Amino acid sequence: MAYEKRQMQNEAHLSFNICHLLFTMIIVMKSRATTEQISSVVSRVESLGYRVHLSRGEETTIIGVIGDDRPIDREQFELLDGVEKTMPVLKPFKIASRDMHPQDTLIPLNAVQVGGPQIAIIAGPCSVESRQQIIEAAHAVKEAGATALRGGAFKPRTSPYSFQGMGEEGLQLLAEAREATGLPIVTEAMSPDQIPLVEKYADVIQLGARNMQNYALLNAAGDARKPVLLKRGMMSTIEELLMSAEYILAKGNTQIMLCERGIRTFEKYTRNTTDINAVPVLKQLTHLPVILDPSHGTGKWEYVGAVSKAGIAAGADGLIIEVHPDPTKALSDGAQSLKPEKFAQLVRDIRRVAEAVDRS
Amino acid sequence: MIIVMKPASTAKQLSAVVARVESVGYRTSLIKGEETTIIGVIGDDRPIDRTQFETLDGVEKTLPVLKPFKLASRDMHPMDTLVPLNGHKVGASKVVFIAGPCSVEGRTQILETAHAVKEAGATALRGGAFKPRTSPYSFQGLGEEGLQYLAEAREATGLPVVTEAMSPEQVPLVAKYADVIQIGARNMQNYDLLRAVGKVNKTVLLKRGMMSTIEELLMSAEYVLAGGNTQVMVCERGIRTFEKYTRNTTDINAVPVLKQLTHLPVILDPSHSTGKWEYVTAVARAGIAAGADGLIVEVHQNPSEALSDGAQSLKPEKFAQMVSECRSIALAMGRS
Repeated sequence: MAYEKRQMQNEAHLSFNICHLLFTMIIVMKSRATTEQISSVVSRVESLGYRVHLSRGEETTIIGVIGDDRPIDREQFELLDGVEKTMPVLKPFKIASRDMHPQDTLIPLNAVQVGGPQIAIIAGPCSVESRQQIIEAAHAVKEAGATALRGGAFKPRTSPYSFQGMGEEGLQLLAEAREATGLPIVTEAMSPDQIPLVEKYADVIQLGARNMQNYALLNAAGDARKPVLLKRGMMSTIEELLMSAEYILAKGNTQIMLCERGIRTFEKYTRNTTDINAVPVLKQLTHLPVILDPSHGTGKWEYVGAVSKAGIAAGADGLIIEVHPDPTKALSDGAQSLKPEKFAQLVRDIRRVAEAVDRS
Repeated sequence: MIIVMKPASTAKQLSAVVARVESVGYRTSLIKGEETTIIGVIGDDRPIDRTQFETLDGVEKTLPVLKPFKLASRDMHPMDTLVPLNGHKVGASKVVFIAGPCSVEGRTQILETAHAVKEAGATALRGGAFKPRTSPYSFQGLGEEGLQYLAEAREATGLPVVTEAMSPEQVPLVAKYADVIQIGARNMQNYDLLRAVGKVNKTVLLKRGMMSTIEELLMSAEYVLAGGNTQVMVCERGIRTFEKYTRNTTDINAVPVLKQLTHLPVILDPSHSTGKWEYVTAVARAGIAAGADGLIVEVHQNPSEALSDGAQSLKPEKFAQMVSECRSIALAMGRS
C-alpha cells in the first residue's frame, strides 16, 4: 500500500544518528551562591553522566550541562541549594524537528503533495447535516477547486445541548460524497475508540483543537494508518503543538499536517486571533506541512478571504475553510462559513497569491 | 443600547427602567419574550454611561448597539481617507514602506540607513529620537539632536521622516522636524498626548497598544480626529498573548477588521509583531495579502550592534528582498 511505503521512506529519514554531544540545559546559580553550592551542583550533574562547562561572570555563575539526547528533568536541579533557575537548550521535540529531519515531509492528498509547491485547499461544512447537504457541498467545493472535503460527523461542541453530529451515518455520507466527487475526506475523531471507525471512512483523521492534548487520542492516531490533521489548541503554544505532533510521530505515524486555527486573546471582535506568526515559525521549526484555518481563526466569514490570502503569503502549505451551501441554515459555525460562490472567488484569489510566492 | 431585564423582574421594575430612560430624553421599544423582556433604547446614546442602568432593580445587563467611535467609523465616512506621503497617497492602491532603524544612534548611522532604505524602495524613513524603553537603564534616544539628524537624512534622500513623540510637550518640537508623528503602542491611551497631536497639522501614525483591543485603538484615533486632525494612520504591531516563541502575536485579523470598520489607512509593523528578523518578511507579505496599506519595518545596517531592537531588524539587502516580495503580493491583489 502506498501509505506503508511512505511510512518506510519517512522512517528511513528519521533513523539517522543524532549528534552525541549536545548542550542539554543551562543552570544559572544565584548571585550569592557559594563555591560549595556550585561544586555540589556540578557533582550532581556529573553523577548523572553529563559533562559541565562552567562560566563565572561578575554577578553569577552559569553551568552548561553537556550530554546526549537523553531526556533530563530540569526541575530536580532547581531544588538544589544556590540554583536560581534552569533553562532548556535543546528543543523538547525531536522527530518533529527540522534539525533532525531537514527535508519537508510531503503528504499526498488527492493530486497534491501537501508540503510541496502546490497549495492544498480543504473545504466543506463544519458538520455533516444530511445526505443532500454534504453531497451538494462536495460538488460545490470540488467545482471551485478544492483538494479535499471536510465535514464533521463527531462534533466537539461547547454546549451539550448543541447538535453533536451524525456519528457513523455522517461518515457513510462523507464516503458517499467521496464516491460522487473523488474528493478525499478529512473528518474528526474525538476519542481513541472512534479512531478505528473514522479511519475506516476517512482519508485524513482530524484531531480538533480541544483534543490537542488528549494524549490517549494522540497515541491512538499514532497507531492509525491514515494521515492526521492536528489542530493547535486555542490555548496552546507552538511548542505544545509540536509536542503533541511528537506523540503521534513517536508511535510511528509520520503523516501529520499541523493546523493553526487561531488562539484565544483579549481581542473579542473576532472569535479567535489568527496567529499568523505561527506559520513561518512552524515552517522553520518543523518539516511537517502547515495548514491555516481562517474560518476558526476569525470566526466571521467576511474576514476569511483576507486571512486565507495572508496565510498563503506567510508560507502556509494549505488552508482548511468552512463552506456551507446555505450558511443561514447551518447547524454549526454558520457565521464563519462561506457560500460556495464566495469560496470559488476566494480560490481564484488564493491561486494568484500562491503564484506571487512562486507556488501554485 | 439594549437593556435586558432579569427573567424574574416585575412589571413595576420594567416601568421604572422605561421611565428612567425616557427621563434622560430617549425613546424606548419593548420586546416581551417568553423568558425575559428587552428594552431597546432609541437615539444616539453614546454620551450615556450604560453601566448606570445596570444598577437599576430588575436589570440583567445592557448591551451597546452603536459603535462607540464616530469620526473614525466607515459608516460615517464611507470613502477611504488618503494620507499623502512622499508623493503617494497612503490608503490608495500603492502600498507604502516606512523603514529605518529603531533608534537614531548617530549622524552616520541614520544617513547611511536612509540611503540604503531609499535605494531598496522605501517610501519614508523611520527612526526614534525619543525612545520609550522598558528599562530606564536602556538607551533613551538622542532627543532633539536625533531629530536634527533625521531632518538631515530627509535633506539628503528626500524621504519624509516618521518619528515618535512621547509626551504632549514634545509634540511641537517633533512636529517641527517630522513629517509624520508616531504615537507609540505604550502611549496609545495617553489621552493628553492624543489631544496634543489632534491639534497639529501633521500626519499621525497611531500604533495599537500591545494590550488594547481594536475598538480601543479606534477610540484613540477618535481622540485625534475629534481634535481636528484628520490625517491618521492606524498601525497593528502585535498584541500580547500566551505565545512566547515570538515577542508579540501579529493580530492579522485586525487588518481586514480595521479596513471594514474605519476609513483610515492601516499599516502593519511586522518587526515588533514578531520580534525576530527571520519572520519579518513572511508576516510582511501576509500583511499586504490581508489588505494592509503599508508596512513599517525596522532596518539596521548592522543589527548585531544596534542599540535597540537588533534582533528584529533587517539588514538593508534583506529589506530590499522583502520589498520586492511584497510588491509581487500587492500586484496579485490588484494593487501596486
